[in-house]
Amino acid sequence: MDVVTQMQRQLLQYTSSLFKEGFLDDQFNQLQQLQDESNPEFVVEVVTLFFEDAERLLNELSKSLEQESIHFRRVDAHVHQLKGSSSSIGAQRVQRVCIAFRNFCEQQNVEGCLKSLQEIKQEYSLVKTKLETLFKMEKQLFAAGGSSVSR
Amino acid sequence: MATTKFRHVFGRLWGFATSCKKRTTSSSNSIGTRILQRDVEKEEFQFASTLCLSSYYSVFVVRLAIMVMLAILIGLLTILTWHFTKIYTTKSLNSLAYDLRYELLQRPILRMWNILNSTSEITIAQVKLSQYVIRSHGNLTTQEDQVEMYEAMRAVTWALFASRKALNSITVKYNNGFVQAFHRDIKDNNTFYIYSDLANYSIGASGYNSELNYSSLSSQESSWNDNDNKSTVWYRQPLDPVTGEKIEKAMQIAPEDSIHIAGLSQVPDGVASWRVAVSKFTDSPLLSAALPVWDSSNKSIVAVVGVTTALYSVGQLMKELVELHSGHMYLTSLEGYLLATSTDAPLLDNSTQPPKLKMAVDCENEVIRLGAEYLRRSSGNKFPPSHEVHVANVRLGHDRYYIDSFFLNLKRLPLVGVIIIPRKHILGQVDERAFKTLVILISASMCIIVIGWVCILILTNGVSKEMKLRAELISQLEARRKAEASSNYKSQFLANMSHELRTPMAAIIGLLDILMSDDCLTNEQCATVTQIRKCSTALLRLLNNILDISKVESGKLVLEDAEFDLGRELEGLVDMFSVQCINHSVETVLDLSDDMPKLVRGDSARVVQIFANLINNSIKFTPSGHVILRGWFENPNPCSDNANFLMEEKKLQYAQKTIRAKQHENHAKRTSERDKKAVLWFEVDDTGCGIDPSKWDSVFESFEQADPSTTRLHGGTGLGLCIVRSLVNKMGGEIKVVKKEGPGTLMRLYLRLDTAGDATEQHCLVDIANNGLVVLLALHGNMGRSITSKWLQKNGVFTMEASEWNGLTQILRELFHARSSAGINNGFDVHYPIPESLKSRLLSIQEIRNPVFVIAVDIGLLDLSTDIWKEQLNFLHRYLGLAKFIWVLNHDTSNTIKLELRRKGHMMTVNKPLYKAKIVHILEEVIKERNHEMQKKNMDELHESDYTHCDAASSDDSDISESAPCNPVSSTEKFEQFDLLSRYRINNCLIGLTDEHSEVKTPRKEDSCQNNHNSPKSMSAEQAYFPREAHQGEDSERRGKEEHRIIGGLARPANGKKSLEGLRILLAEDTPVIQRVATIMLEKMGASVVAVGDGQQAVDALNGMLGVEDFRRDSNLNERNTRSSSPQTEILSSPSYDLVLMDCQMPKMDGYEATKAIRKSEVGSGVHIPIVALTAHAMSCDEAKCLEVGMDAYLTKPIDFKLMESTILSLTRRTTS
Repeated sequence: MDVVTQMQRQLLQYTSSLFKEGFLDDQFNQLQQLQDESNPEFVVEVVTLFFEDAERLLNELSKSLEQESIHFRRVDAHVHQLKGSSSSIGAQRVQRVCIAFRNFCEQQNVEGCLKSLQEIKQEYSLVKTKLETLFKMEKQLFAAGGSSVSR
Repeated sequence: MATTKFRHVFGRLWGFATSCKKRTTSSSNSIGTRILQRDVEKEEFQFASTLCLSSYYSVFVVRLAIMVMLAILIGLLTILTWHFTKIYTTKSLNSLAYDLRYELLQRPILRMWNILNSTSEITIAQVKLSQYVIRSHGNLTTQEDQVEMYEAMRAVTWALFASRKALNSITVKYNNGFVQAFHRDIKDNNTFYIYSDLANYSIGASGYNSELNYSSLSSQESSWNDNDNKSTVWYRQPLDPVTGEKIEKAMQIAPEDSIHIAGLSQVPDGVASWRVAVSKFTDSPLLSAALPVWDSSNKSIVAVVGVTTALYSVGQLMKELVELHSGHMYLTSLEGYLLATSTDAPLLDNSTQPPKLKMAVDCENEVIRLGAEYLRRSSGNKFPPSHEVHVANVRLGHDRYYIDSFFLNLKRLPLVGVIIIPRKHILGQVDERAFKTLVILISASMCIIVIGWVCILILTNGVSKEMKLRAELISQLEARRKAEASSNYKSQFLANMSHELRTPMAAIIGLLDILMSDDCLTNEQCATVTQIRKCSTALLRLLNNILDISKVESGKLVLEDAEFDLGRELEGLVDMFSVQCINHSVETVLDLSDDMPKLVRGDSARVVQIFANLINNSIKFTPSGHVILRGWFENPNPCSDNANFLMEEKKLQYAQKTIRAKQHENHAKRTSERDKKAVLWFEVDDTGCGIDPSKWDSVFESFEQADPSTTRLHGGTGLGLCIVRSLVNKMGGEIKVVKKEGPGTLMRLYLRLDTAGDATEQHCLVDIANNGLVVLLALHGNMGRSITSKWLQKNGVFTMEASEWNGLTQILRELFHARSSAGINNGFDVHYPIPESLKSRLLSIQEIRNPVFVIAVDIGLLDLSTDIWKEQLNFLHRYLGLAKFIWVLNHDTSNTIKLELRRKGHMMTVNKPLYKAKIVHILEEVIKERNHEMQKKNMDELHESDYTHCDAASSDDSDISESAPCNPVSSTEKFEQFDLLSRYRINNCLIGLTDEHSEVKTPRKEDSCQNNHNSPKSMSAEQAYFPREAHQGEDSERRGKEEHRIIGGLARPANGKKSLEGLRILLAEDTPVIQRVATIMLEKMGASVVAVGDGQQAVDALNGMLGVEDFRRDSNLNERNTRSSSPQTEILSSPSYDLVLMDCQMPKMDGYEATKAIRKSEVGSGVHIPIVALTAHAMSCDEAKCLEVGMDAYLTKPIDFKLMESTILSLTRRTTS
């Protein structure tokens, strides 16, 4: 039981650090609240969806920005989507970079776009690792017999 | 005058220079002081200053350049003018002068020529005559013949001599030495005949002569000379100058004394000879000509004829000419001897004997001498033949002269004529004029230059001033642009910040709500959390205030136009504030007149905001006393007089108001008359510290507080009243501070609101009069009590008042003991002398037949600090059967008291404040109760059902007021049932209903405000939804007999029924993450969701639905019951949707297009499916776009659970109910 409480504390600390460092925001909480008996894997599912979506979008973005003449509207649409999905899971740092990216898109600033893309990729990989760690910890906790997250 | 002007100009110049200097120094100074400021600013400033300086320098340079150019131009003009006048005049004058001089000289020369000619002619004539005479006397054989010939010769010669008066002498010298001569002495006017002695000459001589005739010329000459040398006797005989008669005897004279006789020597070659001779008889040179007389054979010279002419007349002519023209003339021979001058200077040198001719250079006349010297100098001694000298400007002595010399080339006697004319004579005037002109021109040009400079200085000064002004204007414009930009930034910043700030605030409040709903908090924690909750709410309110201000200021505030119950809103407001007031012992009273229209159209949230701000303000500054919100109605239609009066009143009080405001007023008045807008007057009256009259206007400015210390004492930002005034003005009203008697502030305002429907219809309350009601108001607050009492009395209800316990007991005793005579003695029963007025009232009450006593007892009247209240309660309990008790509770009344009351069967409790609507409800209930006493047995049941209704109403309606009548029909019995409700709730939760409500209410209110900012439309929808929500809640209560509440944005999972149960929602969203999240959220709320990936699919799905719409309607009821059990099959069998959630940006077909398509397909079918936009854009323009294409509401991503729920509910209720 000690192990479980310790793990629980660790998980809580980790989660709160994620919030504190700004990786996640209130929206993630909402997601967690939406998870219940009928959808026990809801958060993981949604986040995985997000990962898939984001990777697809990032690929598209890289491709679009590599082209000679950049189709800024398409780029903007992609970033918009990414912004929407990241905000929906509460990955607010990604979302913030998306906002900046869109501004660059509006100004048709190629350098800014590329810079933002790099930033997004970085933020994305960061949040991905963080979330994966989080899920792993949750899984361990679950396996150890503890109840899920903060209930 | 001139000096002062000059000084002025100089002063200007000096001022200009110094100002330039000053500018440079000051700018450098200020640069120095500003150097610490930000770089940008500094650079800008430097740029501006250098720009300024350079412009000044350029102006300076341009001035200089213009001045110099003007000077050059005028100088050139002067010089040219002078030059042309001078040169051309001089030239023409010179040519004229030349002609004149030439002419002048020509005349003496001509005279000379004439003289020469005449001399020559006479000489030739004499010669011819002599030849004739001599030849006629061919052979002079005898003395007589000879004498005869000489006589003839004499006669002929005399004839000739007499004919020419100008002749000086004619001489004839014969070869034998005989001389015959006539001489005229011009000085004495004597004429002489000079002849030699005839005796000395013989015939032999003639023979000799004849012999000589054949000899050589040289021999002849020698013989003639020999003859001359002989001492001969010459006679001079004066003659009558006219007749030639001898008048005197001949006188012998020496030959040398005689005149010059031309001899053979003068005609050596036999041709005429000319020479200038000098005679002692005249002082002028003589011109003499000599010609030989040949014999008939032309072989020998018989005689020599000589003619001399005085040149005197030439000099005379010269004098005449010179007199006329001034100047000097002279004639010289080629050698330089003076022949004639225009002066009286002697021409002969008398110092020698015989006199000689003078050289011109030796002339006594200075001018002539100098001229001659000059000529000799200029041309050397050798005067060039045919060389004429014309010198225009020669300085001789002190004056300048023209010198011209003409060469007259006479054969044997070349002459040189010289004329010297003083320059002054010809060009004197011209030179003088030229000099004067030059002086005048130069002085004039100097004047012009000076004046021009002054003009330029003045003009350019104006220009530079204008430039300065322009520069300032430009900088002002720049500054304005910057200010506008920064204001734009401000509003953008606020707009951005609104989202950024409120999102975390909403999260904080939501999380706090969650935390507060948690049961396992300790009391301490709960208190802390409550405190945090309050602070957060306050912060959010502040934020909202600031945002409101910026919204109003930017003119973006749009008032919505929806029907609302004004009275209920205000009651809710007063309820809310009464909670606050309790701590201050301030009484909050709502006093609305009966004629107030119940339903009005307008922006209820904003109206509430106005009064909330005002009341809040009043409470803040009122430590004790009361705050009254009065309201009355003014119908503008029948009484234009009244309106005029109002106008006049306004004019008086707002004499300084701007015209615009007046126009606004007039406009408002016109519109109010046209649109039948009601003018609603309100007053907020408090007994606080009041506002200084000088601040009555300024308190409405933003960030303005009457007293700077208020921020410290009471907090606040000074925005509240500013918002109020903006809102009031926006609603066509006005607010001002009005003078009031006594301490405190009286704010009076009026609003123009559309009255909905029949304005007065709702006024008629249930007839509470004539029911024999006697109301005893035992209330603490004086103001509320007296107002209530007055109102009740006005409506025909008998009232009595008691302000404290003793008064109450006294009245009770008087009332009931008089009736029942049942003496009751306990500790509280103290006899007091009853006032006369009360007695009379009691008496009149006793006259009422079958009275119903209603006693409203303020719980504050009981002594709650000790346990005495129980005793007091027991005392009052004794009257339970005799009168209806209404317990007026405070919000913080402890549960023990409530429990005790309930235990004793005092069911009718009501919370403070006691306003009209509550009283009406109570009294109605009392009357109803009396009328249906037989149904009393079923009361519990009735209470039960009423309770459920009320609870639902109050819980769902808590946003607006926790205990306001949510529904005019259904809530009539609410208050009476309040205790039951509370009791019921105690089972679930120990927190009192009122407390909880007061806590819950605020965040909801704030949230709704927030919604309002994001989307006014959804706000209105939400408000429209609330009453229906009440129904819904009621229904669900009735079905489930269980409470359903939404706290902190999450539906309680414990509740069986979910808020969106049975709703079918089509979700169009392309992003899988959002799709998933939204689906789960909606499903969590009980809705069944069909998700599609783009707009096209959504349209397709809906089109399928429209076809089965009719079917759906029919089977609607059945579906409702069965859907929850098998939603999946329902979707398949009947794809009909209650609502569409539409993402705006989607592939294939975006949300806007899809909405348009859906709306298009709906045309004619009468169906309107609610479409809610989902967008990540948080800008209001997107919202406008959404609404424009036909969407009903607007949600921003990330999706807020609660907001989505309320929005969906509001929309679905509207369509399905």
